[in-house]
Amino acid sequence: MYNLLVFLKKYNAVLLFLLLEIICIILILNSLPYHNRKFVSISNSISGNLHSTSSNIGNYFTLKNENELLIYHNALLMNELEKYRYSVDTVRHDETFIYIPAHVISNSLNRVNNFILIDKGRLDGIETDMGVICDNGVVGKIVNVSNHYASVMSMLNLSSITSVRFISNQNIASVVWNGDSYMFSTVKDIPAHIQIEKGDTIVTSGYSNTFPAGIMVGTIEETTFDERSDFNAAKMRFSTDFSTLQYVYVVKNNFKAEIDSLCITH
Amino acid sequence: MYNTLIKNILIFIGLFLLQVLVFDNIRIGNYLHPVIYVLFVMILPFKTPNLRLVIDGFLIGMTIDIFDGTPGLNAAATVLIAYLRPYVIGFMTRKSELDEKDAPKVGIMGFPWFLVYSLILLLIHNFTLFLLEAFSFKLLGIVLLEVVISVPVSLFVILLISYLFKPIKKN
Repeated sequence: MYNLLVFLKKYNAVLLFLLLEIICIILILNSLPYHNRKFVSISNSISGNLHSTSSNIGNYFTLKNENELLIYHNALLMNELEKYRYSVDTVRHDETFIYIPAHVISNSLNRVNNFILIDKGRLDGIETDMGVICDNGVVGKIVNVSNHYASVMSMLNLSSITSVRFISNQNIASVVWNGDSYMFSTVKDIPAHIQIEKGDTIVTSGYSNTFPAGIMVGTIEETTFDERSDFNAAKMRFSTDFSTLQYVYVVKNNFKAEIDSLCITH
Repeated sequence: MYNTLIKNILIFIGLFLLQVLVFDNIRIGNYLHPVIYVLFVMILPFKTPNLRLVIDGFLIGMTIDIFDGTPGLNAAATVLIAYLRPYVIGFMTRKSELDEKDAPKVGIMGFPWFLVYSLILLLIHNFTLFLLEAFSFKLLGIVLLEVVISVPVSLFVILLISYLFKPIKKN
């Protein structure tokens, strides 16, 4: 017993060092699958206030740009409204998607796995797996919700995968991020017989019922052809500018439960 | 006694706010992540027990982690350099010299000593941090690039801060 105490006293720093490192590694490992980001939930409620304040101050500097964007978006909506006002076809009218506006209070770009914090949470009707878009395109997916805040796995995340469609030929592919630059991403699983060209537009396919179909994702920047494979890959430029992201819309699918129940019975 | 405690707490809060509110928002290219909060662990007095060093490293690393939403990342890297700190100092300095001097600060140890000292600790810290963040050796190229780009910038800022708060010598 005495020997044990002597041992503990002599090597207390080493033992504590090892213990703390093990705690850290366990925390890191637990946070790898993005669904188990419990830590983020806790840290959201602690850090939310500080990030809110700092973001409030930062907002003043980009107010002008944001206003212009809002005016532009307003105009777009008014045009849309006008179209429906004279439309006669109102046989089936049910809203599949509802958009909940939210404000980005913290955002990262240059990590390997990037997350965004928004100021709407469970009390505003936000749940995990909802899509997040902004005026320019797709942003990501809700992965964790606390009462007043939610964290979004942005497209700039190695775990992020989005089902997309080429506008030019209606073919389906998927977009993944390679951890490189926040402006570019990779389009995978393009069937080899499809002709793609620089500038081709890519939109969401609507197959995942997270995003409505036809939301802009990006444009093809560079094509690479692999003779040996049945599938090609291409470099894509995001339509969303993640570095200036401030306002986003969380997409709520009213029929998600219904669609999912069908998928399970299959 | 209490003076040094309050002073340390102020340094802790100051470096933490600088890191979270200023340096985490610097985005030049994709590989630059200036890390300045490690200065807190670097400048603790020579006489600090190893146990205290490791605990302090864990505290500041974990605080940064809570605000960055990266559980354990910064804490793991900072605990490592807090633990290795006495060995780095022992490697660089004679024992007799340590008894006379108070803390590894730029005003006390001189510029060349502090430069090498902070460079070694920063290299270890950043390499561990970026490697754990990527969490695979597949991205080793990116990790090394991040280290090569970030360390000089962090080092510059750390030297700048330590010169700003260098105590004025009384003759």
